[in-house]
Amino acid sequence: MDFRIARRAGAWIFMSILVVTQLYPLVWLLLYSFKTSSEIVSGQFFALPKRFMWENYVDAFTSGNYLKYIGNSIWVTGITLVLTLVLSGMVSYAITRFKWRYGNIVMLVFLVGIMIPIQSTLLPLMVIFKNMSILNTHAAIIIPYVAFSIPLAVFILSGFLRGIPHEIEESAMIDGASIYRIFFSIVLPITVPPIMTVTILTFISIWNEYIIAATFLSADSLKTLPFGVNSFVGQYTANYGSIGAYLVLGALPVITFYFILSDKITKGMVAGAVKG
Amino acid sequence: MAPSVWEGKLVNGVLKVGKWTLAVFVLPCLLFYLAFVFAPIMVSVYYSLVEWAGMGDQVFVGLNNYKVLFTQDPIFWPSVLRTLYISLASLLQVPIAIVVAILVSRYVRRPNFLISSYFLPVILSVVVIGQLWKSIYNPASLGGMLNQMLIKFGLESWTKTWLGDTDWAIFALCFVIFWQYIGYHVLIQFTGVQNISSDIYEAASIDGAEGFKADRYITLPLLSPVIKISVVLAAIGSLKAFDLIVVMTGGGPANTTEVISTHMYYMTFNSFKYGYGSAISTFLVAFCLVMTVLLNLAFKRAEEAAS
Repeated sequence: MDFRIARRAGAWIFMSILVVTQLYPLVWLLLYSFKTSSEIVSGQFFALPKRFMWENYVDAFTSGNYLKYIGNSIWVTGITLVLTLVLSGMVSYAITRFKWRYGNIVMLVFLVGIMIPIQSTLLPLMVIFKNMSILNTHAAIIIPYVAFSIPLAVFILSGFLRGIPHEIEESAMIDGASIYRIFFSIVLPITVPPIMTVTILTFISIWNEYIIAATFLSADSLKTLPFGVNSFVGQYTANYGSIGAYLVLGALPVITFYFILSDKITKGMVAGAVKG
Repeated sequence: MAPSVWEGKLVNGVLKVGKWTLAVFVLPCLLFYLAFVFAPIMVSVYYSLVEWAGMGDQVFVGLNNYKVLFTQDPIFWPSVLRTLYISLASLLQVPIAIVVAILVSRYVRRPNFLISSYFLPVILSVVVIGQLWKSIYNPASLGGMLNQMLIKFGLESWTKTWLGDTDWAIFALCFVIFWQYIGYHVLIQFTGVQNISSDIYEAASIDGAEGFKADRYITLPLLSPVIKISVVLAAIGSLKAFDLIVVMTGGGPANTTEVISTHMYYMTFNSFKYGYGSAISTFLVAFCLVMTVLLNLAFKRAEEAAS
């Protein structure tokens, strides 16, 4: 019996250590963001701030274009999501439900894309976008975001569409519905669970994306949140409290989102991993 | 839509549609994808055969870029090894995640809080994580938590500028990757453990298999498909490390944290060696495809050996 208690205690200690390792850096950042620079360098890493320095947040907020970056991120992520879902939804439907010769080959072409690292297309895309003169516009980042979100989306959506019973389409056809009506008003509405999964996976990766934005954009008014956060940190190197505040602000939207939808997000991320 | 377009028929549960309908459904996505994923890769292969600084003429040099890359570049091979090293180090997450998942599902009645706290770093941007850990690794006099902690515990001799130390920077980076993704693996394994029916454990306990014995003979074998997922994710994690390295160390100090993709990035966008950068980029694509094939082969072997 004693052995069991010891084992249980051991298990709890182990799990708690992991919780502390995972959460403490974030808590530390929160405290850090409310301290003065002299408190931060004083070595009292565990202490609460003597006075909560909301000034750090005011500083970050006013000099950091925060709302502009958030707006850009919402816009870019939103467009990417809509385009990814419509494009890959249609092609997945064609791959799984239409009778045509090249369905499997097309599927394979999309699957190879899952393995291709996005970094390896940076230079050619830059040259292409320069020729299209869309470098330093949001189109230059939305295009690669959509292109690289498509493979996983096609994979997840076609996995689901393959399994829906064909009676659904049959009865719609007897009623004389066109294929477009069948797709948009009958098939899409029942495809909600995999669409959720794709939305969550795409949202997390596009909302957080940094390198493409940093390579293809330079105007401050176009930057997305991660790029904006990095630029802010680069500019205010010695103002520790404000940097901390800006990092907290940078993490805030996605953490809020996670608190509201944590169940859906964890489920979506597992589904995405299982299928990807 | 005009009725003439719609020539749909349902045969054995598959729709027979006209050419135009098919084109409307397939071409937008396929062409977009080919134009912005495949074509760039092809263009990149072509660039790898020229010498070009972005402006002026492209001089065709054949395979010379590759020759220089494979035989004269002092950064290249170490960066390949480091990429593999980060992959292997990331694999260590999997056994830890399995143990945690088993413990959580055995001892915790309301596991949501634990699992969510483990998972939280996964959804944060690499920029936030990179900058946060840069602050943690800072020297104590600049507010670095890790060094301040060591001083507090009387281990002053252990303090260092973690990201500026040629021996330690790569470990410091690997730890951050570990920290960010361990929660993902715990979540995946935990879901796997939850999906194992409790009937099996009950049946096993009648046969005297409980605790660690049950884990060894029931949980692990039944988890193997889920373990495979974690292994694949961890192995490709070394590529995701790219942004983190750009944010945290930029490949330094003295190129000791350089991986294939950072080397490609800096050669292309900092040194403007477009042709040379494209050769590295082509190598990277080939490297990823070969890694994927090898991983799949390894899994096939393992499955055959198990059956």
